[in-house]
Amino acid sequence: MSTQNAPRRHDYGPDLRVALGPLGLDNPVMPASGCFGPELGSLFDLNRLGAMVTKTIFFGARSGNPAHRLAETPGGMLNSVGIPSRGVDAFVEQILPEYRRWQTPTIVSLGGLSVEEYWDLADRLRGVPGIAALELNVSCPNLEAGGIEMGASPAQVEAVVRGVVDRSTVPVISKLTPNVTSIAEIARASEAGGATAITAVNTLVGMAVDLDTRAPVIGNMVGGLSGPAIKPIALRMVWEVRKAVSIPVIGCGGIARACDALEFLVVGATVVQVGTATFTRPDAMLGVIDGIADYVRDRGLESIRDLIGTLRTDRGAAETAPELTLAASTGHPAQPAPSRSVQR
Amino acid sequence: MTPDISPADPALASDMVGSWTASSVRVRLACIPDIGRTEPTLEHAPVLEHVRVAADHVLTTLDAPTMASRAEPGQFAMLTVARGGEDSPVLPRPMALYDWDAATGRVDFLYRVFGDGTARMAAWPVGELMTAVGPLGRPFSLAETTASLLLLGRGIGICSLTALAARARARGVAVHAIVSARRPDAIVATDFLERIGATVWPVVDTDGSSDVERLRARLDAQLRDRAVDQVAVCGSERLLRLAAQVGRRLDARVEVSLEARMACGLGYCHGCSTGEKGLASEAPLVCKDGPVFLARAEAIGKAQ
Ligand SMILES: Cc1cc2nc3c(=O)[nH]c(=O)nc-3n(C[C@H](O)[C@H](O)[C@H](O)COP(=O)(O)OP(=O)(O)OC[C@H]3O[C@@H](n4cnc5c(N)ncnc54)[C@H](O)[C@@H]3O)c2cc1C
Ligand SMILES: Cc1cc2nc3c(=O)[nH]c(=O)nc-3n(C[C@H](O)[C@H](O)[C@H](O)COP(=O)(O)O)c2cc1C
Ligand code: FES
Repeated sequence: MSTQNAPRRHDYGPDLRVALGPLGLDNPVMPASGCFGPELGSLFDLNRLGAMVTKTIFFGARSGNPAHRLAETPGGMLNSVGIPSRGVDAFVEQILPEYRRWQTPTIVSLGGLSVEEYWDLADRLRGVPGIAALELNVSCPNLEAGGIEMGASPAQVEAVVRGVVDRSTVPVISKLTPNVTSIAEIARASEAGGATAITAVNTLVGMAVDLDTRAPVIGNMVGGLSGPAIKPIALRMVWEVRKAVSIPVIGCGGIARACDALEFLVVGATVVQVGTATFTRPDAMLGVIDGIADYVRDRGLESIRDLIGTLRTDRGAAETAPELTLAASTGHPAQPAPSRSVQR
Repeated sequence: MTPDISPADPALASDMVGSWTASSVRVRLACIPDIGRTEPTLEHAPVLEHVRVAADHVLTTLDAPTMASRAEPGQFAMLTVARGGEDSPVLPRPMALYDWDAATGRVDFLYRVFGDGTARMAAWPVGELMTAVGPLGRPFSLAETTASLLLLGRGIGICSLTALAARARARGVAVHAIVSARRPDAIVATDFLERIGATVWPVVDTDGSSDVERLRARLDAQLRDRAVDQVAVCGSERLLRLAAQVGRRLDARVEVSLEARMACGLGYCHGCSTGEKGLASEAPLVCKDGPVFLARAEAIGKAQ
């Protein structure tokens, strides 16, 4: 497997290497798009991450949505940033070089308001050094098709993915929206289009009202819900995608600790992305990586790969499965233990 | 190092970030040059103590030596309000660096206990670690030539101005501070300001003394012969307009510290846009391009 040759930038002890097709990663933890930037490099060593993911870029410059763009909700948050973008040329000239200060592979997230915009971006980025893979954020409205989210249409997703795959020399990841009836169907369309991997999921559309003004809290009326509150939904969707396709799945949604990430790996994710938790604690991803390493070591696994997709759905699993209580080192809050903050 | 910028700096002319219009005056905001920012750090900082300083206001001290060694007046920190075993509230709270001591590593935050996050901060067990990221944002500037500084703070907005006052006093600059609040029991920071030798004018809504027209008259009378070279304002749009007008009349540089909902505080989440509409690209971000901006009053139509 190609990961055998991947350079190891950091010694975790246990073997945490995973692969997304030809792209080998040191460990299975990466940030979620929009919840990461090279600015974090002044807070911790970004070489420790499995990969870095950029905020979604568009072909042209975009201004983004009006304030408020953020609202806190129980166990999560709403955002409607609206994906401001300086455009692809500014990205290549000013933003991408920032990422290249680290050896960690950089995955560039692409957005578009038409199928062709994704293709144009792929054309523009073809051969640009420092891009390890492309992630297609299809949770964007297709303005040429009545503004309906591209990611809700299997045909459009397949067209977007196929066009980008045809124009790229790097792996293409399709990032799915959870705001659909059948995520399995969209996953299959991504695989048919030639995607190397699938990320599931983006934010769930939500709303909050200010009772003083009776106006929506979010300037854009509605926003995307993220954080621990969506984890059970995201986990279920990753499991559904896992069963629907044979390409690797990247699990995303509400992951804050190693125990959350391990649940996603067990249901079949090869890699996990951490979004909102990085706001809560900018070093959250390091806690996830360390906790996964501890789990692999404590369970005597040969590598993290031995855990992926090992969900037991057979009857009697509870009796025959090995001890399922997670070690404290995974960060599982067995009981609220505030003093544990010392170990973070 | 606090940036030393001449008020005539041509770099400040462009880069409009917002404007407020009221009767005959429009206030325009512009980004200040990005030269005073210091490198932020992440510290797991023990809470050293809480002091209740007013009815709803608490001063919390963290042991955050790296932040204390890099802090500049007007900068802020992002404080995680989820405790060790918790994953929410998910958003850290932006808080101005009220005061600090580089020698001991102490950093103070003064805040109004308002919602869930600030209630958690006030109840944080002493000795327990809090994740703190800072110092963040562009600081206030203090020109070498400044001899007199006027501060206008409304509510907890004064907490963004205290460190600037201390820096100015340390340089022998005269500091006049208008501390405005709804009620007398919500007036904070006056003891701090008096201790460092600032002239303090507390004003409140309950007796009408905070009324902007009354403040204007009082400022006009008091500042007639006393020049003010710089004005710093935080916490109220009405005070911002007043500050900008005073600045225009006295030819003084005016800087304002803005607030916005924030998630990262570092400039990557794009949650804190100043929201100026009609720009081709994105409006400046309060956390990274601010929170301190340059403010200018412009007369529209008839003279002010
Ligand atoms: C740069 C900056 C410096 C600040 N300095 C101080 C200070 O020194 N002292 C002080 O008392 N307050 C300060 N504030 C405001 C302070 O961040 C809010 O009062 C605080 O976030 C309220 O949190 P809460 O959990 O109590 O309220 P909640 O209503 O529970 O907060 C819900 C969400 O809204 C956000 N929010 C609510 N009010 C504000 C606000 N006014 N500004 C920004 N976000 C808000 C919160 O951060 C949180 O994400 C500052 C804000 C900024 C942007
Ligand atoms: C502030 C914010 C900005 C985001 N921006 C993007 C984006 O630009 N592109 C994208 O594909 N997803 C974006 N997302 C979605 C996240 O990548 C992620 O899919 C989602 O938040 C769920 O994961 P989480 O619960 O770990 O945050 C954003 C999320 C947040 C909270
Ligand atoms: S708070 Fe994230 S960009 Fe300003």
